[in-house]
Amino acid sequence: MISIQLILLIIFGLAAIWFGWRVFMTSSMVRSALSLLASMVAIGALFLVMEAEFLGVLQIMMMGTEMSIMAIFMMMYMMDPGGLGNMDMTHQKNVSIAAGVAVTVLVTGAAIFADWGTIATQVPSPHEQIRLLGMEILKRSMMIFETAGVTILTGMIASIAVALSIKNNAKK
Amino acid sequence: MTPFLNSFMISLLFVGGVYVVAVLERWSMTGNVNWGGPARSFLLLFVQEEIKTRKHDKVFFETAPILFIGVILLTISILPFSRGSVIVNLGTGALFINAALVYVMVSLLMAGWAVNGVYAMVGGWRALAQLIAYSMPVVMALTATVMRAESMFLIDIVESQQSLWNVLYQPVGFILFYISALAITFLPPFDLPVAEGELAGGVWADLTGARKLLFRLGRLALVLTLSVAVVVLYLGGWMGPWLPDFVWTFLKSLLVAASFFTIGRFMPRIRHDHLLEYNWKYGVPLALFNIFQVGVVLLL
Repeated sequence: MISIQLILLIIFGLAAIWFGWRVFMTSSMVRSALSLLASMVAIGALFLVMEAEFLGVLQIMMMGTEMSIMAIFMMMYMMDPGGLGNMDMTHQKNVSIAAGVAVTVLVTGAAIFADWGTIATQVPSPHEQIRLLGMEILKRSMMIFETAGVTILTGMIASIAVALSIKNNAKK
Repeated sequence: MTPFLNSFMISLLFVGGVYVVAVLERWSMTGNVNWGGPARSFLLLFVQEEIKTRKHDKVFFETAPILFIGVILLTISILPFSRGSVIVNLGTGALFINAALVYVMVSLLMAGWAVNGVYAMVGGWRALAQLIAYSMPVVMALTATVMRAESMFLIDIVESQQSLWNVLYQPVGFILFYISALAITFLPPFDLPVAEGELAGGVWADLTGARKLLFRLGRLALVLTLSVAVVVLYLGGWMGPWLPDFVWTFLKSLLVAASFFTIGRFMPRIRHDHLLEYNWKYGVPLALFNIFQVGVVLLL
């Protein structure tokens, strides 16, 4: 059955793939970061089309911040003034092509052969979805989310500490 | 009222509000109240020649102003101006405000980087660092208001303030949100991304005509939008005696906007590294403290 929902789903899915491909086809960090952002926003739109309002808005918000932070960190670490320099977004080409093909086959296989259960006919209201998600995060999945959060925070602090060579306003 | 009439009235009032904000902005820069000034600058930018820099990035150059004003218009559509007049009543309203503000930052970076000029580029990166930093306290302060209302509907957040406005219930959150709103609208004293005296106009240095007009209009709308957000989240929204609901929202919002510009007129510009330092070292921990405090009060 072809509905507007399905058509939008296909359009945003293709947009996500196209922008994901663009990430590797430019020679500029800023263009590449913003292409990745566009790809992620398309995925957020996929969530919205599937009536998962909270996940969609969250995805669009988080990715905007994340890709901006990524862009600014890339600039700082790569010593590229203003992101105006040329760079190649690919490396170890043969290995990455092989890895890409293998992962695509795996993911496609999982999507086709996995048992997805019955398809939901009714979607809970956005308000109810947020409540259920909160229950999930604070009950069953609490350990996973807390561990991931603390790990990421530690990684961020460590990377900044490593990169810091001079202190601001330090007395000489 | 029908939804159509609602959105029409909100738009009309909003356009009027933006004009008042434009007059206020002019006053904060020059000290004169000039009611015709904004209209003249509008016409000037409208007919101004479009100058394009050499080797600019076409895609970003064209999308940035539209993205900037687009996300601000989206934010306006979810803000409740009175009990019945909200264009889209979103179940994730509180989160959506922050999601939209993030794209203000992205569009400033795009605009700054696209023109291929040094001042704009520095302005763009400054805007990015500043807005990333100050969107952290915004989202954490929002969380605390959502905690009290136990809902992300903005209407529910206003109604949760029936007994006591959030400005008194969570004063730390209010102060953080207020200061962050100033930083996110890059008004003085936080106007480093577009400062005339510092970077010859920063992000907007090389923009002319329609693109600059979109950015200038967008910023004025952004100031009013965030003023309405402050009112909705902390100052009891439409609540007030005698006058109709939406009149209260607009009166309070214009007062908040006026207070923004008054601060801008009398405060010196803050150095960029200090600005980031204050936020990351004091703002973010205070925002976490605010969540903790609200949580404790709610559980008591």
